[in-house]
Amino acid sequence: MATRKQKIRFAIKRFKGFWSQFRRSKRGMIGLAIVIFFCIIAIFAPVIAPYAPIDPQLNPGEYPKLGSRGIPIAEELCKPIWYKYLPTIRRGPREVTQRFYSELHTELGLTYQVFRREGEENATHTTLLLSNRVVSIEEIKATLPNGTEIILSKDDWDFQLSGGKYRLNEIRIFPFYPNNTMIEVKYITAWDLAENIDVIEDHKFTSIESFNEWKWWSNSNLVEVRYNTEEGFPVNEEDNLGCVEIFYESVREPSSQPIEVTLAKSFEYPYYQPPVSFWIHYSVKVEGIPAAKVKVAFLKEEGNETRTFLLKTLDVLSSKSYTHYVTDSGEGIVATNVGADIPQNLIFASPGNYSFVVQVIIPSGSLHARIYLDNIDCMLYGNTFGLLGTDNGSPFPRDLFSLLVHGSRVSLFVGTLTAIFSTLIGLFLGLVSGYIGGIVDEAIMRFADLLLVLPTLPLFIILVVALRTVRGSVSMWNIIIILTFFGWMSFARSVRSMVLSLRERTFVEAAKAAGAGTFHIINRHILPNVFALVYITLATSVPGAIITEASLSWLGLGDPLLPSWGKILYDFQSSNIAITTGLTEYWFWVFPACIAIATLATAFILVGYALDEILNPRLRERR
Amino acid sequence: MGLRAYIAKRLVYMAILIWAVITVNFLIFHMMPGNPLQQYVQSLQRVSEERYQYLVEKFGLNKPLHEQYITEVTNLITFNFGVSKRGRPIMELLKERLPNTLLLMGTSTIISIILGILIGVIVAYKRGGALDTGIVTASLLTYSVPIFFIGWIMIAIFAIQLGWFPSSLEQPISWSRNPPSNILELIAGRLYHIALPCASLVLFTVGGWILLTRACVLETINEDYVITARAKGLKERTVLYKHVLKNASLPLITNVALSFAFLVSGAIITETLFSYRGMGLLIWDAIYGGGAGYADIPVLQAVFYILALCVIFANFIADLVYGIIDPRVRYG
Repeated sequence: MATRKQKIRFAIKRFKGFWSQFRRSKRGMIGLAIVIFFCIIAIFAPVIAPYAPIDPQLNPGEYPKLGSRGIPIAEELCKPIWYKYLPTIRRGPREVTQRFYSELHTELGLTYQVFRREGEENATHTTLLLSNRVVSIEEIKATLPNGTEIILSKDDWDFQLSGGKYRLNEIRIFPFYPNNTMIEVKYITAWDLAENIDVIEDHKFTSIESFNEWKWWSNSNLVEVRYNTEEGFPVNEEDNLGCVEIFYESVREPSSQPIEVTLAKSFEYPYYQPPVSFWIHYSVKVEGIPAAKVKVAFLKEEGNETRTFLLKTLDVLSSKSYTHYVTDSGEGIVATNVGADIPQNLIFASPGNYSFVVQVIIPSGSLHARIYLDNIDCMLYGNTFGLLGTDNGSPFPRDLFSLLVHGSRVSLFVGTLTAIFSTLIGLFLGLVSGYIGGIVDEAIMRFADLLLVLPTLPLFIILVVALRTVRGSVSMWNIIIILTFFGWMSFARSVRSMVLSLRERTFVEAAKAAGAGTFHIINRHILPNVFALVYITLATSVPGAIITEASLSWLGLGDPLLPSWGKILYDFQSSNIAITTGLTEYWFWVFPACIAIATLATAFILVGYALDEILNPRLRERR
Repeated sequence: MGLRAYIAKRLVYMAILIWAVITVNFLIFHMMPGNPLQQYVQSLQRVSEERYQYLVEKFGLNKPLHEQYITEVTNLITFNFGVSKRGRPIMELLKERLPNTLLLMGTSTIISIILGILIGVIVAYKRGGALDTGIVTASLLTYSVPIFFIGWIMIAIFAIQLGWFPSSLEQPISWSRNPPSNILELIAGRLYHIALPCASLVLFTVGGWILLTRACVLETINEDYVITARAKGLKERTVLYKHVLKNASLPLITNVALSFAFLVSGAIITETLFSYRGMGLLIWDAIYGGGAGYADIPVLQAVFYILALCVIFANFIADLVYGIIDPRVRYG
């Protein structure tokens, strides 16, 4: 009897021999490397992935609920951040010339002018509808049908970048020209991709440094704005108590005019593309006066001038606790105040220096007031985000890179567990069937035949649907069980045929003659001979499980709460952009997950192939 | 055992399989804890009392289990499936969809087999070379690339970028009102629409055929009679296709039937992807169509039953062909 130590030494030696053979197989090593790579990703997924895979929010649960829905990490359908370095994307301004032809129409005694873009059949618009967004207009020139050229003066046309509910690419022309006058517009446009900008990094005012980043001014010298460490707005227990305090005290007489206190945080907006949207949060507490007005605005430096875009004005009543306010670019009042349908397009029409401003107005006749501001946050959402962009999840778009990283967990888990379970079941049933034989063998094999004949995917679909009907949803475990239950048959068959031939060998006969029991013979004499097959099947049955799981998730039948690769693809498929320009435009949404599935599955196949070559003596002889 | 007895034995086996499929159907939809069918039918009660009564009667839901089982068996054997959620007879739906699926699967199988055998024989002949390694690796890859990925790439390249083929439906939209009378036009239109789904399915399955053909040819290529054929001075092509392939083709024939079950899975996904109105899209519609609520279980049941029947029937045919070609099977 070998001692335990000897046994271990023998096992190590055998493994070394096996490893030196495996190392020689190039395919096997590549496969093994990929599998290990995905395993590492799966284990460290929470560290690697920057965001939660489901409903990612910037500061989950941080802001009290007041019509607010949390802060999404990005806009939906963002492109990856590296997208702008692609050669097809032209950044920065460029000059464009566009031609229009005029036509005069008369209707009900009214004469008006319509324009036709070059290359179009019909004149449809009463304005010049430019194809690109305008940064500035250089020159507008009209060429009359007789050849005279007129350069239009500033009074002849109107392009209201400053206000009015115009789209930013429409020009109105006031003079009437004869039919077929060619009008040439030379303008600067810019095509760019914008990233998210977090204007205020430390919106909780955790330290005095973050307060010092703000500038403040007032029309009264009795006002002081200072950093306060006690009166802050703790959203949860660990929150700090830092905040901004506006302190006003008049010792002698009440103020005769409203006192304006302005806090400004300047930032640079570097992109030619306006942000897709912006979100502003702020918490205010007023003490000492019945009410104060609070205004939020963006300031834009244009040369020596500063333009103000007032977003919203609020009356904040005095109270013992904070009130939290949310303003976003989609609000009607913001559009009205700014004077454009899409306010962010007007405000951030060009790159430059901007300021985010909170103005507090203390009404006249006040003697004493304390106003606290906390949690002032301003996010500008661009149209690029993260390593792989975002999907269309609403209201919380998901970071596709995080989804991809977390998806490796699901695929590996489902794949390996299914392979292990089905191999074990197959091994057991194959051994029983082959060694015992008779009616047991017949029953097991006929059952296996039946299961082999059933078309698997439709069967899985109806099983999952039936489960969903009964229980509301399916879990990953349901899927593993279903895949296991229908995955053992072919392995059981090959084990059985191997056992059938092993059973008749002389060493089994010898063991029987020596009085060994059935269990002993199976355990010591047959099992070791079958084990090579077990390793091979373990590797080769993983890809099937991974792909079937992905297919089920792709059909929307996976666990709805799991960020699996198939679910990423299901979201793409069901978003309706899949069959239009979807794939050419959003290939970074689809390809990484597809490639990940294919790579992982291939890796297991390669490992299985290499194992097959080493452990299957028949194959080795043929080489 | 003669051929007749062999066929009889296979027929009995087929009947047993059909009975087993019906039983599986019954187990899933009637016996699963919570009774999915009952839940679905009850959810219809709010929509239409009349249809609820009809379905309860149809599936015998108000009777004890053993009588439900008998009703189920008779219903399925007589293709009496009831009505879908929208009130259409399911048999009518199946008659409309099954030919489309069979057309898609048939064309792609034929193309795939021809391509697979041709490439497989060449690869086996040039075994060990760079071509062999490349094609074997590529074939292994097709096992692991999900078919919807293949389909999406097809759509992106041939439908969106190049615009050569349509990316959806199985025939031009206008045909649903007035189908063309000219048979050539009909075939051309169908082929034009089937091109992309068929190509995806071929790419999906051809790898398996290549590997199988290669393995079978390698088994026989060193046999004595092949050497004899070469020694006779026959052309290499004649040796390969007449002497080697003929004897290597037995496993290929059995695999046609076996691959049918595999193909069904691929076809379901391809049809969904390309909105090709076959059985696969019928499954998708049954799950998601008709608004929120439960999936259309009677339709799913019928689709599964019909697909399983197709697979069983294909297996039966393959067994027959095998029995006729290879007499050893009959006596084995």
